[in-house]
Amino acid sequence: MRERLRAMVPSVVPIVLSLVGCFLAVVVLRGWSVAFDAFGAMFAGAFGDWPKFVDQGNAGLVLRPLGEAGNKAAILTLTGLSVAVAFRVGLFNIGAQGQLTVGALAAAVVGAKVDLPAVVHLPLCLLAAAVAGAGWAALPAVLKTTRGVHEVISTIMMNWIAVSLVENWLVVGPLKASASGVNSISGTDQIAASAELPRLFEGGSRLNAGLVLAVLAALVVWAFFGRLTRGFGWRVVGLNPEAARAAGVEVGQVVVQAMLVAGALAGVAGAVLVLGTEQKYPTTLGAPYGFDGIAMALLGQGDALGVLVTSLVFGALRAGGTRLQLFGVHKSFPELIQGFALLLVAARLVWERLARRLLPDREPKHG
Amino acid sequence: MGELLRSLVSSVLDAAPPLIFAALGATLSERSGVVNVGVEGMMRAGAFVAAVAALAMPTPLAVVVGMAAGALVASVHAVLTIRLRCDQVVSGMAINLVMLALGTFLLEALFSSPSSTPPITQLPGWAGHPVTTWLAFALPVLVHLALTRTAWGLRVRAAGEKPQAVAVMGVRVGWLRAGAVLASGALAGLGGAVLSTATLDRFEHHMPTGLGFMAVAAMVFGRWTPLGATAAAVFFAFGDALRISLGSSAPGLMPQGVLLALPYLLTLVVLAVSGQRSAAPAALGVAWDPEVR
Repeated sequence: MRERLRAMVPSVVPIVLSLVGCFLAVVVLRGWSVAFDAFGAMFAGAFGDWPKFVDQGNAGLVLRPLGEAGNKAAILTLTGLSVAVAFRVGLFNIGAQGQLTVGALAAAVVGAKVDLPAVVHLPLCLLAAAVAGAGWAALPAVLKTTRGVHEVISTIMMNWIAVSLVENWLVVGPLKASASGVNSISGTDQIAASAELPRLFEGGSRLNAGLVLAVLAALVVWAFFGRLTRGFGWRVVGLNPEAARAAGVEVGQVVVQAMLVAGALAGVAGAVLVLGTEQKYPTTLGAPYGFDGIAMALLGQGDALGVLVTSLVFGALRAGGTRLQLFGVHKSFPELIQGFALLLVAARLVWERLARRLLPDREPKHG
Repeated sequence: MGELLRSLVSSVLDAAPPLIFAALGATLSERSGVVNVGVEGMMRAGAFVAAVAALAMPTPLAVVVGMAAGALVASVHAVLTIRLRCDQVVSGMAINLVMLALGTFLLEALFSSPSSTPPITQLPGWAGHPVTTWLAFALPVLVHLALTRTAWGLRVRAAGEKPQAVAVMGVRVGWLRAGAVLASGALAGLGGAVLSTATLDRFEHHMPTGLGFMAVAAMVFGRWTPLGATAAAVFFAFGDALRISLGSSAPGLMPQGVLLALPYLLTLVVLAVSGQRSAAPAALGVAWDPEVR
């Protein structure tokens, strides 16, 4: 228990410090009362307006915000897992953004252009997105194992190639929605109803099955690294590739496989965004979800369940962020909180030292 | 044809400087052994602070303040990576994410605008282009000379190749690298400041729109040398100018998105052909820990 608490300090302390720091920033710029109201509104938008719910008994006050939070958390979890899986084998997948972009496009295309019953259509869309994401990650992986090209540089390039090709060419060119479309003609064609991720609840909440997918993915990744021999082999590659090689692990193969899995996870994140909330590939994806994955992976300390928890927290805060606009604070404010937390969590050494001081070993080690 | 060429050269002279400054900055930092993918965030800091400072002071002075802002952000990177030995890529990406959100937050909080700061007086020009354009031609040579012909430059390069050797000479690797990172931030800040005070006359919410990442690409393309990075930056800017003029004179010849992707694609091809290990500094990304040699 003590061990576990100590392990959480390097994540929890930075998040709390960042929240406090960002709160003080609003105080400085807008004064105490506005800051309190703004944070109150953000938390109500994030976790539900519980006091008002108890007062009025309107379940929507709690269910609607929680649904939005869950939808955002699903995407963050999947991109976070993408980065975390790569991390575990010692790779830095900065390319989640590009993999998510091509995944989202693949889902949008298969969702709109193919006509199938929902039982096959939805899985096919998810599969297409996973394959697209994995394909986008394959090149950096191969370049790494065959040419020694560092994956950070190659995935940065792949990100911009993806965004340029998809958002500046395909979505405004060959795949642009036909003018006879239902609602607007920006972005690609609307996906068919059979490709939509089903909503989990009727009425109040817009929560969709993406969250179920994300939780399942987190559990699978957790079980793989924690319970399976093969997962142990992958971890050894990350901790000490030389030792892994000596033990007979094909390091190159593991690198490629891990990168493919990472790409597939980011691709599915794109699919969840398109099939769950956007219903098409919009002109632009809006938030840099792929880069957010880096934050989630690090705040969750590369652990699948840690990623899930931090994604739930920040998914909620970001859902609540939309309510800040009323207080003269930009809706991307939660991203600032997240960014500062990431910056702080990067200073691991400091927090580990702090954790040891806060929660020292009970029995002295030597007599 | 002559007309087209002249307009192309003119737009390269306007578009290349921010990229050149940022690419030089990235090169300095990485030659000392510190990965700098935070260039984008440092440019954003420079662009924003210069545009805000120019509301209260002469624009040339505001550009210097913008450089200081870039260096300030870089100092965070230096403390995290050198003193606390964080992962250098993590620190850089964290800086990018913070600056992205902080810029938007401050824009809204200080100017109640989601899109841009109020207009300012632009940087004075000389011979039809902002002074920074001419600086962008002089600076690469200076940085090249500093890196190859001075004792400091030799030490910086050694810190990136074999820090043990520098330490044995009695020079402190950490301070050497910190200096390079700060200079890198100042240069990135200058690149950003050019965007908001010379290219435009205000800070816009999307600045620098990935130019920082393109600067990293230029550095890799230029094989981690100041002159190579500059040439790559000019080449990328030329490609971009060509894209824009083709887009207006011969639309449909080549989709814009494909042309936009070309610099990154070319960088990948160059990396794939040459392999990276041959050009990158040997100790790049490895934190210096005097107790572990």
